[in-house]
Amino acid sequence: MTGGRRGLAAVAALLVLVAGCGVRQGRYAGVSSTVATQAPDRPAKGVEAVRGFRSVRGYRPTPAPVRVEIPSIGVASTLDRLGRAPDGTIQEPTRWEVAGWYAPGTRPGDPGSAVILGHVDSKGGPAVFFRLRELGRGDTVTIDRADGSSVRFVVQRTEQYPKDRFPTDEVYYPTLTPALRLVTCGGDFDAAAGRYRSNVIVFATMRR
Amino acid sequence: MRCRTGLTALVAFVLAAAVACGPGTAGPSGSTATPADQRALRLAAATAAPVSPRQVRAQFEQLLGLHALLAVRQMRSVVAPAPDLGQAAEAALQENTDALSRLVASAYGSAHADRFTPLWQRHLGDLVAYARGVAGTDASVRETARAALLADADAYGAWLAEASKGQVQASDAAAGVRTHVEELMGQADAYAARDYRLAYRTGRAAYEHMFTAGAALAKAGVTPEVAVGLETPPERLRSAFSMLLGEHLELIVDAQRATFAGSAEFQAAAAQVNANTIALTKAMAGIVGPTKAEEFQTAWANHVEGLMAYTAAVASNDQAGKTVARENLDGFAERLGLYFSDVVRNLLAADPLTDAITAHDAHLINQVDAYAAKDYPRAQQLEREGYLQMLGVANTLVGAIQRTVKPRLPVGGSKTGGGGLACRRP
Repeated sequence: MTGGRRGLAAVAALLVLVAGCGVRQGRYAGVSSTVATQAPDRPAKGVEAVRGFRSVRGYRPTPAPVRVEIPSIGVASTLDRLGRAPDGTIQEPTRWEVAGWYAPGTRPGDPGSAVILGHVDSKGGPAVFFRLRELGRGDTVTIDRADGSSVRFVVQRTEQYPKDRFPTDEVYYPTLTPALRLVTCGGDFDAAAGRYRSNVIVFATMRR
Repeated sequence: MRCRTGLTALVAFVLAAAVACGPGTAGPSGSTATPADQRALRLAAATAAPVSPRQVRAQFEQLLGLHALLAVRQMRSVVAPAPDLGQAAEAALQENTDALSRLVASAYGSAHADRFTPLWQRHLGDLVAYARGVAGTDASVRETARAALLADADAYGAWLAEASKGQVQASDAAAGVRTHVEELMGQADAYAARDYRLAYRTGRAAYEHMFTAGAALAKAGVTPEVAVGLETPPERLRSAFSMLLGEHLELIVDAQRATFAGSAEFQAAAAQVNANTIALTKAMAGIVGPTKAEEFQTAWANHVEGLMAYTAAVASNDQAGKTVARENLDGFAERLGLYFSDVVRNLLAADPLTDAITAHDAHLINQVDAYAAKDYPRAQQLEREGYLQMLGVANTLVGAIQRTVKPRLPVGGSKTGGGGLACRRP
């Protein structure tokens, strides 16, 4: 017997186990036999209410973010949309003075970490997130959304990581806590390569 | 390689489903084991030697979550009053405490478990005393019980500080339990005042907070280095989905039972079912995007309404309605199975997923049948088995989701600077 066949046989055996749990037997075959179905004498008090029950439907996505404001460091910027580059890295914002939102990820206010990037500087001088590293616990970040609503986040901490040890999971991994990550460059500058060796990341959570 | 990955995932899923069905889950065909045997087997299953700190965390979460739910039901049975239902809840709470004590023993050692168990038993007794105080007219009974419950919280704090060798401050641990008892007392007060919306909302909060408490208890029992591994983003995602899916089952049970109490109570319970559906949909949106999230909500809403349609048929003794509702549930389970299989890019096949959802439906169908027949021990047993089965499915499903999420995340850091000016400033 080949390894693959042995595997399939194991799966088949396990399926039998599951069937013993009450599935794969014509779905609800025998369901009524497990319980002594002694019918209630009269309809239950809440029967009309349960008949009228409707589950929530019509999910409407949270509107996309359009603007970021960080008063304590003088940031007020519209937001471009960013995606993933062909090499798997996140696209960089195309304009020095404008921040960008990672659109395949979380929308600000939804469960998960919304990610906003901005350049720290250019050859011409400071860029939109030049002072990002100054943010500390308690500073606030406001995100305006396409429908005119806003959501506010409170900074928990600011950290710097070498780019080759970027905490991908802490920044991008799905979570059920609404959060915000602001990312720019920092640390030493590699003049030959024209790039910084580290990233500065601000971790913020939504203010309820 | 792809084939092998799929096979491995399928084996893992089927195993999880089988274990989740596990001892004591007789299924539709019934069981020949005696009640005592079944109880022993269930205890063994619930506390089978955990093999990793992550499993310890998951078990603490599920046992403490179940503790909160059962305590809520027992307290309400005192307030209502509904002695038969209360007896079933009390027996289930005792099983839960047995399992919790064994898990504490495995995480902290038997000496600490020996001190934990009477402390926890006292907590249970004081909750019932408080409910009696709420049900009666003598306010001093309630106040005495409140003081005892807060003292229990302090005792727990002292216990955990010692058991964790100082990793946890007694005051922090006590504060967590104080929140727990305040929620349980608050929901009993609201229930007695017929403020069912507040009672059900508070009861749900009590359940959710116990997942935080479970994680804290697991982390306090390991070294700080190991504890860090219990708070990784993937672990947090597993915990959150387990909480929400377990909560879904329990809220359906609440709504099914509330049908027999009256419209106002049903509507309060049903509002929490919908709140859970909204939370689940938002959680899915963060993983699969808004379009797929909407698709999820539609499939899930059909599933929930199908269960309520069956409940309505039971409550009005409508045999034909029950048959139709079951048939509809079949279709909804298949749709959800296909949906989840698609979401995890076929890492899990649709058929076992459909079967797992059908098993979940069967627990709820049997549960409400038993409840309507006033067979409360059986209803309680089915509720517990359904809860454990749901958490088994949740863990497997989230495992597959995690394997599909990781490859889609951006790689490495960002290229967000090019002037070299920032590193020259003071």
